[in-house]
Amino acid sequence: MSNDVRLPAPFGSLIDRDKTISFRFENKTYQGFAGDNIASALAANNQWLLSRSFKYHRPRGALTMAGQDANTMIQLPSDPNALADRVAISDGLEVMGQNYSGSLNRDSGALLGLVAKFLPVGFYYKAFFKPRGMWERWAPLIRKKAGLGVIDQQFQPEYFDKQYQFYDVAVIGAGPAGLTAALAAAKAGAEVLLVDENPSLGGSLNYSRLDAEGEKARQLRQRLVAEVLASDNITAMTNATCNGWFADNWLPIIRGKRLYKVRAKQTILCVGALEQQAVFHNNDLPGVIMSSAAQRLMHLYGVRPGKTAVIVTGNNDGYAAALDLLDAGVEVKAIVDLREQPEYDAVAKKAASKGLTIKTGHAVFAAHKDRSGLHLGSVEVRKIIRQGVCGDQSETILCDTLCMAVGYTPTYQLVCQGGGQLSYNDNTSMFTLTNCPQNCQIAGSVNSHWLIDDVIADAQRAAIIASNALGLSNETPDQQLDISLQHSPNFSWPIFAHPKGKEFVDFDEDLQIADIINATRDGYEHIQLVKRYSTCGMGPSQGRHSALATARLVAAATNRTVAQTGVTTARPPFSAEHLAHSAGRSFYPARRSSMHYRHLEAGAQMLQAGAWYRPAYYGSAECREACINSEVNNVRTNVGLVDVSTLGGLEVRGPDAAEFLNRFYTFGFLKQPVGRARYALLTNEAGVVIDDGVACRFGEQHYYVTATTGGVDRVYQNMLKWNAQWRLDVDIANVTSAYCGVNIAGPKARDVLRKVCSDIDLSSEAFPYMGVRQGTVAGIAARVIRVGFVGELGYEVHVPQHCGEALWDALIEAGAEQGIKPFGIEAQRVLRLEKGHIIIGQDTDAMSTPAEVQMSWAIARQKPFFVGSRSIQELDKLPAKRSLVGFVVDNLSAPIPLESHLVLNGDRMTGRVTSCHFSPTLNKPVGLAYVEPDKAEVGSRFTIKSSGGVMVDALVVELPFYDPETQRQEL
Amino acid sequence: MSATTVTAALRRSQLYRRHIDLGGHFEQVAESTLVSHYRSIEEERAQVKTLALVDLSALPRIGFKGLGAPDWAAAQGMTLPAQPNRATLQDDGTLIARLSQTELLIASNLSGASTHSAVAVSAVADTTLAERVYSLPRADSHSWLVLCGDLAAETLAKVCGVDLRPHKFANGEVAQTSIAKINGVLIRNDYGDTLAYSIFSDSSSVEFLWDSLLDAMAEFNGAPVGVQALRDC
Repeated sequence: MSNDVRLPAPFGSLIDRDKTISFRFENKTYQGFAGDNIASALAANNQWLLSRSFKYHRPRGALTMAGQDANTMIQLPSDPNALADRVAISDGLEVMGQNYSGSLNRDSGALLGLVAKFLPVGFYYKAFFKPRGMWERWAPLIRKKAGLGVIDQQFQPEYFDKQYQFYDVAVIGAGPAGLTAALAAAKAGAEVLLVDENPSLGGSLNYSRLDAEGEKARQLRQRLVAEVLASDNITAMTNATCNGWFADNWLPIIRGKRLYKVRAKQTILCVGALEQQAVFHNNDLPGVIMSSAAQRLMHLYGVRPGKTAVIVTGNNDGYAAALDLLDAGVEVKAIVDLREQPEYDAVAKKAASKGLTIKTGHAVFAAHKDRSGLHLGSVEVRKIIRQGVCGDQSETILCDTLCMAVGYTPTYQLVCQGGGQLSYNDNTSMFTLTNCPQNCQIAGSVNSHWLIDDVIADAQRAAIIASNALGLSNETPDQQLDISLQHSPNFSWPIFAHPKGKEFVDFDEDLQIADIINATRDGYEHIQLVKRYSTCGMGPSQGRHSALATARLVAAATNRTVAQTGVTTARPPFSAEHLAHSAGRSFYPARRSSMHYRHLEAGAQMLQAGAWYRPAYYGSAECREACINSEVNNVRTNVGLVDVSTLGGLEVRGPDAAEFLNRFYTFGFLKQPVGRARYALLTNEAGVVIDDGVACRFGEQHYYVTATTGGVDRVYQNMLKWNAQWRLDVDIANVTSAYCGVNIAGPKARDVLRKVCSDIDLSSEAFPYMGVRQGTVAGIAARVIRVGFVGELGYEVHVPQHCGEALWDALIEAGAEQGIKPFGIEAQRVLRLEKGHIIIGQDTDAMSTPAEVQMSWAIARQKPFFVGSRSIQELDKLPAKRSLVGFVVDNLSAPIPLESHLVLNGDRMTGRVTSCHFSPTLNKPVGLAYVEPDKAEVGSRFTIKSSGGVMVDALVVELPFYDPETQRQEL
Repeated sequence: MSATTVTAALRRSQLYRRHIDLGGHFEQVAESTLVSHYRSIEEERAQVKTLALVDLSALPRIGFKGLGAPDWAAAQGMTLPAQPNRATLQDDGTLIARLSQTELLIASNLSGASTHSAVAVSAVADTTLAERVYSLPRADSHSWLVLCGDLAAETLAKVCGVDLRPHKFANGEVAQTSIAKINGVLIRNDYGDTLAYSIFSDSSSVEFLWDSLLDAMAEFNGAPVGVQALRDC
């Protein structure tokens, strides 16, 4: 650090001079103090150059010292485009500049500035799209140059998360207005959240000068902050950015790696105003800074902005900055006051009394580089002869710092996101805000109040309105001051064109006065079109420092008032945020059956079906097909066990239970005997198949209905929806998670089950196919269902969820003698395919009707009604468009078709494969496919375009492929 | 009781492997086993006061719904909350939450043997239940976790979008909401002067929820404890 740059206390309120921190910038080591940000620490080392501009690679340094401009964008190891005036230094931090070729000091890209006149506004559109086809040539070059910073592709994701918070009042901005509003609301009894993006509370009170002595701001801050910190009703959050305003005061507030999702009943936006730059030749040179930036450097970080300063001002704030600079030992060469006849306040009077050179009615016409070419060396001052025009006489003043104090715009972004209206007041030369969203107030300088007493009164007014709305008070708020009559700090036209241009309106995109005017001459007169054509306001700082000057220039160029010109729209986010803030700590629930770990212990390869984990097959991935085939064979010849816990389970109980199912599903259920199960096919109102299951009648008024794993939630919702209309006396409960289950299947299934089930007669006569019973299995209360999904003798055993592992263990142990083995979902798919059973969602789609999928047998047409019945009646009258058929591939050397492979008729796509697998039982590939109706006859042949474009011949066969007499499952 | 005893029981919490990995000491409760403690009782008593997570999934609980359910429960001597989304503690420690006008959740006290819950659970097997009273197998459909301690509300704010701060969400209030994207019934039922929230949620997702809560608790140095520390509150 340079000792002649650091100022003594009380300058430097944020830094801890006892804690020195070393960091590196551009591979050189620097020291700063704890509390410094990168920009302040570098400034303390006389390093002002931070980055290069986007288009012309011009040298850029700190402008606002408030994290509001793109000039301070730097590269951190894993974080491009970080803001040097926002990121605190830390030991060992590696920082680099951005957007340069060669070195930051000697950037060959700066040569582009020499050809600037060949790169006019809109040159992208003009230069690269003609002649036709040229864009493809230019695009790679442009894309290579585009963008700022470098992405660290080795970056390891970090932990970001979210938290909900709730408050009566959220006050955004902790300056004098925010502190006052928070205190007033808290005193009324509200729970208040006070948010500020800066490291300390106080806002402008931390650095601005309110009185000639320079004491008032400090004293006021001390009092207000002490009261806030002492209030039990206020939660103060610093270094926190409210990055948007959403409906009903939903506020995303970012602090560190956490996104706070704040819901406030009332919001008071005290977000202040942003100081604006004067527009003149070379106004972007490092050393040309906002007056507030100079004050921040001195008061917050104890950094003297330079040795010799000139101030260009259009208000009295420039004089306050001059006094601060004098206090810091800076030689103030001149105050260049744009006003012809300034009205001094007490502060300005004091500055004027210091014997400074004050040039009223003058402007800084141009800034010039010093010998390094990287910093301000002098300014050229000229007399203003009319709006935006200077005389020919120049006075050059040597200086290393130029402070600009020519006006402000309200920080309008959050208000406008909520629907607030930004308008221009031609009398005050200011943007003003109206039409705040419901339950949202604005107060302070964002509301065009500039005198501290007015700011405080305005904040109290807003707090009273908020407290009244909360029912905490019943005061009558003061009438809002007429802002059109208020003192304005804005000079009407701080814009001075130069024959050589380079008077920057938008620093982000290097846009000059001529660019804005030329955009209007190209026919883009609406402010929104100017924005898009010129890219003005589309850079990282989103028009914070260009919107005002652009509106003025467009108005003048189109002979309208600024008010008529309008402004662009503000959308979230307020400032750049990491994607991780939105993405971080999202929840992806996982569901596991109670037998999950038994599958893992048995070597299962798990797959996810929705949120569920299910065993695909048991064994190594390298021998997947062999494992599946082995599991299939074991079920066909022996006995297997599969976890069916993920199947949906629904209890339908009550006097009208049978009537309900009769209306809901396609089959008939009124005469279904107790102790029997019945296939349940579900269609929607359009007659499309949407789910299936088995309805088990355990009592006159009690059905237990299964549904598909992925479909049960929808089935349950549909049941509730329909019964809300039907008003049947029935209760419906989703008990999917309450029961887990297994299907023990294979010719030896009964032998195994008998060993652990003594209270149910398992004989075929007593417990036939599609029978249901309740009893105990391995001492566990169980529902046992004789089903045949896999085409063998089988029992589904459903038991309470927490008993699942015990059931699994008992059956595996009981079946050891018979060689029982678990089988997975893949084997189950093959087994059911061999049996010709469809899977809803795999073999059906959003258009599948029962007739198309050969399920007409599952429709009770004599019923007066079921969901979808009317549509099915009408569909049945129409010619069929497609049909789901079973097919085999006899050519064993052909590639096995896969799901979604196309069915072709010549070069016409006529269908697709929905399921196909090599059948270990039939020793050939079997599958299901949609084909044209005239190809659905048994014996028809069709062509499948299989892997690698190989055409495979398929033969339509009768379903099922296996055990057409259904003898196996009825053993 | 050793960890091997856990697998001797027919009913097992889906979290039992995690409890074993954490060094849990188990006790027999009802038909299952419950973690009594992982560390010393003194440590866990202190932990409960700041932030702790307890798995009570092994304790009995049941649900009833239907037009006849409130009258039936009242006839069994149970005191029901007057309005939905409220819970009351019975004299024997049974927790009864009214989830709607006609739906009840009845959960045992920490011993697993409270009278009211036992009556309710045994009633499921009673085929003479009053008309339009339908039992719900909450002991299996829902896991039961308790998040307790002074920092419990702040922790839940990381996984749940309901304002659960103690001065906004009174003891006995019920929220049927989403917790870490899992539907659940969340009941504030303090143990003594210890702030506590019971979370009843999909049992098949309990491992995910357990991990999500521990993750949310990490910044506050929260940790799992056994049921004994909760009983001592």
